[in-house]
Amino acid sequence: MEMFQVVLAVFWLIAGVVSFYFSIGNARVWTSIAVGFFLILLGEIIPGALPFLPGLSNPYVLAMGHIIGTLSILIMSHGFQEYYVFTRTLEFEGSKLHVYLAVIGVIGASLVFLMINPTPDKEVLRVIRIVENTNWVFLSLINIDLIRKIYLNIKDTPIGNGFVCFMAVFARIFLWKGSQLYIDVFSLEQIKDAYPIRYEISYWGKNLGNFFASISVGGTFLYLGKLLR
Amino acid sequence: MILLPRGNPVKENINPGKVNLADALGKMRQGKFTGYMRFDFPEGTGIFIYQEGRLISALYENDREHLIAYDAIARTFHEALTGAGNLNIYRLSTELAYSIHTLLHGEMLHKGQDLQLIDIKSLLVRMREEKRSGCLRIYSKEHIALIFYRDGNPLGFFHDGSTDIETTANSSLSVAKEPGAKVDVLVTRGAGEKSLADLMETADVAGLWGNAVAERRRQREEREGAASKTLEMRESDRREKTLTLFQQVAQVHLGKIGTSLVDKEFEKLKLNGSQIDESVLNGFYDNLSKGAKLVAGPSKIDKMLEEMKRGFKGLS
Repeated sequence: MEMFQVVLAVFWLIAGVVSFYFSIGNARVWTSIAVGFFLILLGEIIPGALPFLPGLSNPYVLAMGHIIGTLSILIMSHGFQEYYVFTRTLEFEGSKLHVYLAVIGVIGASLVFLMINPTPDKEVLRVIRIVENTNWVFLSLINIDLIRKIYLNIKDTPIGNGFVCFMAVFARIFLWKGSQLYIDVFSLEQIKDAYPIRYEISYWGKNLGNFFASISVGGTFLYLGKLLR
Repeated sequence: MILLPRGNPVKENINPGKVNLADALGKMRQGKFTGYMRFDFPEGTGIFIYQEGRLISALYENDREHLIAYDAIARTFHEALTGAGNLNIYRLSTELAYSIHTLLHGEMLHKGQDLQLIDIKSLLVRMREEKRSGCLRIYSKEHIALIFYRDGNPLGFFHDGSTDIETTANSSLSVAKEPGAKVDVLVTRGAGEKSLADLMETADVAGLWGNAVAERRRQREEREGAASKTLEMRESDRREKTLTLFQQVAQVHLGKIGTSLVDKEFEKLKLNGSQIDESVLNGFYDNLSKGAKLVAGPSKIDKMLEEMKRGFKGLS
């Protein structure tokens, strides 16, 4: 299983680097979206996929991982909303620097919030993880619909097909995060012997969704890079 | 064409369009000028005759019209303001100025008779017998001479460069001997008043000049307005064609959203009838490029802009 986690980490590393590089080299509208995907690498994969890294037993590191994961989906959803507004109004504002600074500021504020409160125990971490996965699940569905609308507006542009890929990405993320949420909400980990099939489906749904999401995120940004050459 | 010999030239070849004629006429009056002003226009000829500062006669003539007094002054002013005229001023004696006046307002008995064909002797005999007052105008292509008669008796001669009626016929006869020389016979009715009314006393010359200037300005504004309208229409047509071209190119490269981006950025130019050119479009290309970056890469955008620039040059 550790091997699988390492493979996942490699794919998410590739996806994260590609998306971050993409955020630098392209129009401002892509910054929020690309930075959001890059944050998956920081917030989710490093503590999740590499449990053997030192300091990961620290509850603050784990809590920040979930918080950054939550910020990740919020930021990319905001990016897609901006893109949708652009396709409807052709208006766009802001700068890349503001996006980077805002993301760093929100992460810093979250860290301060954690530090000034009691040390998160297992139950607190579970709640934070549920909040994160809930955001991912419902915003993935909303984003699929939003991206569908964006696609309808720009399907005859060079970038059009890239949004079909994003729909596929969010379908996989929905599978990944939905399965994780299901396991957490019903504490299936503790009662897996009573519900072995549900647990197995959820477990493999989470892992395969995670794996294919990592591949499709990296692939989508590489494809977008090709379309935007 | 009014044929008159040139007197003693005071000013020649002045463009009357560059002179305030109301002022000029006033100066003639103040200077007690005697002589005539001759205005030659493409449309006709105007003659103003002065006798000791009094404007005793004004005549404007062309193939269709024969205007006198105020009408002649107004028309001369009007034509002068077109700028396509020529003004010559000649000094004459008082007697000659009057004679020229009677000549210009006299009746044409014979016109353009070829001296080779006419029996000049019998013509002169008839003048004497009928006790005619008037003038024989003998002219060739280059020179003119006048022979004045009063009550059938020759009064004297006037030819180019004279300021007074002369008694020697040499110059006049030499004109008669030139090839193609012709003669007009003009007669006047009665002796007439030698002291004629001053048109400048009864006419509002400044007002006539003001009207002519105002009319000229109105015509110029009308012309400019029409020209501006034509230019505006041409520019509007060019703007429409440019917009259509850009929409088509953007549609090919960026799809429907490309057309919308072109519409939006074109609207932002706020041309409002002003001319569309490369410098104006540079800002348009920059803004369009920024918007297009959200849906296409630099190579596609550059290609699109290249096609737009090439197409616009084709329209120019």
